[in-house]
Amino acid sequence: MTSSSMVDVTTKGPSMRRNFWRGVWRVMKRKPSRLFGALLMALFVFMATIGPMLYSRPLPRDPNNFFASPSLRHPFGTDFQGTDVLSLVVIGSRYVLLTALITAVVTIVLGASIGLFAGYRRGRMDAVLMRITDINLTIPGIPILLVLSTVWQFASPWEMGLVLGLLGWGALARAVRSQTLSLRERGFIEAARGLGLSTPHIVFRELLPPIAPYIAMNLLMSMILAVWAQVGLFFLGVMPVIGENWGVMLNRAVFDFGAMTTAARLPYMLAPLLALMLLTVAIVLVVDAMDEIFNPRLREE
Amino acid sequence: MRLAWVKNHPTSPTEFYPGLASEWEVSDDNLELTVTIHPDATWSDGTPVTAEDVVVSSNIAYTRGSGAFILDPGAAGAASDIEVVDDKTIQFTQDPENPTREFVNGIMNMTIVPAHVYGDLLPADFEQTLEAARGDDDAADDAREAVAEAGEAVVGFAPEEDISAGPYVLERINPSEALLVRNEHFHNDHLVAPDQVIVRSYDGNEQVWDYLRAGELDSSHFVAVPADVVQQIEAVPGNEASRTYSPVVAGLAFNQSYEPFDDIHVRRALAFALDREQVVNIASPDGGVAATTTSGMHQEVLDAWVGGAAGDLEPFAYDLDRAAEELEAAGMTQEDGRWIQANGEPFEVPIQVVSGFSDWIAAGENMATQLNEFGIDSEILTAPDFTVYQEEMAAGAYPVGFWLIGLGPSPYNIYQRLYGQSNGWQVLAGQLSYSEPGEDGNWKGGPETYEVEGHGTVNPGELAHELRTADEARTNEIMTILAQTTNEHLPVVQMWDYVNTQFSNNTRFITDPPDDARRVTGVTSLAGIWIQQGWVTAVE
Repeated sequence: MTSSSMVDVTTKGPSMRRNFWRGVWRVMKRKPSRLFGALLMALFVFMATIGPMLYSRPLPRDPNNFFASPSLRHPFGTDFQGTDVLSLVVIGSRYVLLTALITAVVTIVLGASIGLFAGYRRGRMDAVLMRITDINLTIPGIPILLVLSTVWQFASPWEMGLVLGLLGWGALARAVRSQTLSLRERGFIEAARGLGLSTPHIVFRELLPPIAPYIAMNLLMSMILAVWAQVGLFFLGVMPVIGENWGVMLNRAVFDFGAMTTAARLPYMLAPLLALMLLTVAIVLVVDAMDEIFNPRLREE
Repeated sequence: MRLAWVKNHPTSPTEFYPGLASEWEVSDDNLELTVTIHPDATWSDGTPVTAEDVVVSSNIAYTRGSGAFILDPGAAGAASDIEVVDDKTIQFTQDPENPTREFVNGIMNMTIVPAHVYGDLLPADFEQTLEAARGDDDAADDAREAVAEAGEAVVGFAPEEDISAGPYVLERINPSEALLVRNEHFHNDHLVAPDQVIVRSYDGNEQVWDYLRAGELDSSHFVAVPADVVQQIEAVPGNEASRTYSPVVAGLAFNQSYEPFDDIHVRRALAFALDREQVVNIASPDGGVAATTTSGMHQEVLDAWVGGAAGDLEPFAYDLDRAAEELEAAGMTQEDGRWIQANGEPFEVPIQVVSGFSDWIAAGENMATQLNEFGIDSEILTAPDFTVYQEEMAAGAYPVGFWLIGLGPSPYNIYQRLYGQSNGWQVLAGQLSYSEPGEDGNWKGGPETYEVEGHGTVNPGELAHELRTADEARTNEIMTILAQTTNEHLPVVQMWDYVNTQFSNNTRFITDPPDDARRVTGVTSLAGIWIQQGWVTAVE
């Protein structure tokens, strides 16, 4: 993401990069909330990558101290068998974030490339790809997942991310196609075509860079969707309620442990909820910053 | 109403509280039952209850094939003859070919309906069809089909007005509650305290918890309630909890077709490796008591059946050293704290539970945690619902899963859970047959015979089957052998014995039934039985 405007998309140099980061810092400083979002995001990334390694497995627990109230030792109390809830949230973050990342990557790769090619090539290719997109848009996700859950346990984030990604790229493909349709009439694309450059070159080197910021923001937004989708599926019990992730915790809290009826069990439900909320806030704030960084009109105010 | 209410006495299956019958007499050979209807028994429209009502009710029971009213050739414990002695007396005879001790229960449990309302629903020649259906030729097959078809009319029938011979008649009903009002014709009306009863329906246990916490229920049946919610319920003025014996035991069952669960050392290791006290404390502190040993039956009846031999059973107290010894005896070794099988694969224990069964899930997860802490890879897997769970389990899909055992009180029923169809033994045309593991619902896959210390070669399926007909002394003998077989060979590890927790509120009525009346099975409302026996009294 070195490009900062459509004109000098292919210009890369140390000074450009410096200017870019200086711009980023300026944008961040203008609204401290964005800085907060970036820090939060970094925290979650740390939590999902390094976090689980900080705990010895099996997790230590005190079976006589179950559903303990929050304390310094256990900021979110303990679960039904005396395990620290915070450690469960940290360990659960890996599944949630990794699934979200895989979903987002699959969505972006499929959505962007199909949108770009369809928009650029027009004609029969466009028609075929858009019909496929239409079909993808009409696939009922929940029933498919219901059926798949009888075959798969979705214990690995790869399975979950892949399925969610394969089900969710349609909207992005449509949006990217419409952007491409407008871009392909611009002079620089016409020039490239006139020079006889190959289609892959034009699509990836000429069309992709100006759309990249838009795609990057979509990547983050589709991460939010993926987070809520998977957590929701586990929470509703559509997926087998196993494994270490926040959705399973929420499902257990509400349906098995009576968090809705018993105050002592509330922290076990609130901890993953809080994590979900903060993660969403972090992504939204980072997207807000990215929007201004990549959108010249907002930046040059 | 029923003729009588089965007490579910732990060791004596034929004890009853009176319903419509005031007296009953069982012949010494258990083949004949003579029932006398209470002389004052009257339907709520004033018509007396007679032997004719009982005959019509028996005929209807035949269309459903329930209780002692089975027509299949070779069926055990079936009624072969029903004779009206006089207007208030009926004699039932059991088929002498295949008698059982539960025959009397099967009759007494029958629901009695008024002949003047239901009598015309069955075809006029029903008695002849019934007679023809008792044979074992093709004509009898057709007749049995005709009997079952005649039942369709009964199922589809709804009387305009509720006619009852019990303490109440149904005044009105909607999906959330039903209003019952006093039936002044009820023969024991003087024992009935409440004039009206509202029966509430519920979709989930939480709803009952809410009612109880609001002090809105005079009485409620067993529902699974977490310990802290129990405290809240008991804090409500007037609320009382009763905790009595319930003939149900939660067991961790093995499918021995899966390695290494076919190895007795592995099963013994798991029995030693699980701290059952911790499991119960976490999963079901108010609804269960940690099992003291594995015998296949509830602790409460163990002494009654097995006597002094109970003390000889291995208690399988929590002991990780002995668990390790057993795993080593099974050829496993510990590497980096994890147990590795002789073939080099890590030892894995998947524990199957059912979605929504909160106590099983919490217990299963705690067991998995305990095993992981001991170095055995374990996790729980959930089946979407109980029907799927039972189907998949019977199909042999689960290596390890929860399985209710000790479902008494009858000794036959207790050991059917361990040495019945699920382990290969089933009754076909009156004959006991054995199917190999993986066939005909044999998912436990244990061997057909065991070597049991002091008893030589034991075929547990045959012994369990014999319990249907055995006399008292033989029953005790069989129960002792089976308890020992179960303890030595562990087809299941007994986790906890259920406790029958029931709540009542004594602000308006005092509910004080005897313990055995708290576990009458197969009835919609236990309180209905308690009220008609006079165990629910109004506060002055």
